Amino acid sequence: MSRVCDNQRMASGRTSFGKDTGLQARMLLTLFLLGLVYVVFIGVLFVAGAGAVIIVAVALVLLVLQLFASDKIAMASMGVKEVSPAEEPELHAIIERLCVQADLPKPKVCVMETSMPNAFAMGRSRKSTTVCATRGILELLSPAELEGVLAHELTHVINRDVMVMTLAGFFASLAALILQFSFFFGGGGDREEEEDIFLVVIASMIVYAVSFFLMRALSRYREFAADRGGAVLTGRPSALASALIKVTGTIERVPSQDLRSAEALSAFFIVPARAKKSLLNLFADHPPLEQRLAALERLESQLQSAG
Amino acid sequence: MGLRDILTGRHQVKGPAPDRLFAISTAYVTLESEHQIEPAGSAAIVFQALATSEFESTLRDMEEVVKATGGDSGTSVSTEDDSYGYRWMILRNPAQAPSVEDLAVGINAVSSSIETAGHGERLLCAVFAFDDAQKRRIYFIYNYKRGFWYPFVPDPSGAQQRLTERELQLKAQMGAELPMEPELERWFPLWGIPI
Repeated sequence: MSRVCDNQRMASGRTSFGKDTGLQARMLLTLFLLGLVYVVFIGVLFVAGAGAVIIVAVALVLLVLQLFASDKIAMASMGVKEVSPAEEPELHAIIERLCVQADLPKPKVCVMETSMPNAFAMGRSRKSTTVCATRGILELLSPAELEGVLAHELTHVINRDVMVMTLAGFFASLAALILQFSFFFGGGGDREEEEDIFLVVIASMIVYAVSFFLMRALSRYREFAADRGGAVLTGRPSALASALIKVTGTIERVPSQDLRSAEALSAFFIVPARAKKSLLNLFADHPPLEQRLAALERLESQLQSAG
Repeated sequence: MGLRDILTGRHQVKGPAPDRLFAISTAYVTLESEHQIEPAGSAAIVFQALATSEFESTLRDMEEVVKATGGDSGTSVSTEDDSYGYRWMILRNPAQAPSVEDLAVGINAVSSSIETAGHGERLLCAVFAFDDAQKRRIYFIYNYKRGFWYPFVPDPSGAQQRLTERELQLKAQMGAELPMEPELERWFPLWGIPI
């Protein structure tokens, strides 16, 4: 279906926005590197033999749990409350229009009663989605800015970011699991077995370290993609840029004690719930504000010059 | 969305579905003759107005076209921006001669010139207003992305409530004539419709 639309677009020869080949290339490269690391890791596990199979099985169960329950657990721990159209008519109206525009069924709409301005969307698929905004962001932003933020969040859902990130992180969690339980493997075996275990632990360390950075990079690329997708959805890149400036400015002024409780949900938020700036971009799961603003500015100028 | 689109997070906004707008220009006959639902003489098209000079000039040209084509029947055109930043282009028949065909032709002229300009994905929906025998306002909404129609009957008491029972009746009555949206969760309400 989407292929057909692409062709029609090419035939008409004009779109409001250009392509973003650079971002896509970086994202594919990151995924390729992650896959490469994981393939080598699987190889090492196979060489090590029987004990590893159990670990893989345990990790698979954890993965399924994470996919199906993580959003519910996270939301239950955050005190998120579903709101009806009568309680929040404006929020519902904005989301409904975005759903028409993005051709999505309507998600569950929730509000979190905290003054910290933020928003997130969760759900494995288009059918089971929850969009949540905090009281703070509802009060801080204008309707157009709020729409930009919500479009960014809905784009995460459309792009299936929760699924992609969970699957991409599977072997990283597996490696972490092996490191945690490596004590239990040692002792009692013959010399050859001990060497195998040593090999697995070393491999796990390397896989964990490498995939940590790759996952962070992937997360940042997906943020850029969601910024872009959200801006294309609303046709107003500058509204999202202005929302990001407002939200970031406010978060940095809010005392960090209040924020620490929100740290668990950080990956889902539009702006990470951390007051201090990261030392290195490499460690950040969200790209720096300046880069996001620059990308949105490029989109706005593409939009303005398309004609 | 293909696997590659998921992996790279590349999402295109969907363009309009194959056009079934003109279904209304025959369906209204049944509405009038069998269900005593009269056209209210107005219709509107809702879209995201891009804040670019190119889009604004497309809109100006379009308004000229609609005024020219509507000239014979006396259809008037006006625009309005709602509080969510969406633009409504409203078409009104002269009071003595309501014509759903003219409105459908006018709405189609607007949507096709937006599509020709390469902004088809900005179209949200078209709304046609009717009144039933009790003078209650009934809207038929056409979703461009889906190519489906659905009825929307706001509660006349003013609260943001919709008369779902009436809407479902209308679906049963008109299902054969209008291609109705099969998924009820996509019957999105539009509050504060300016027609």
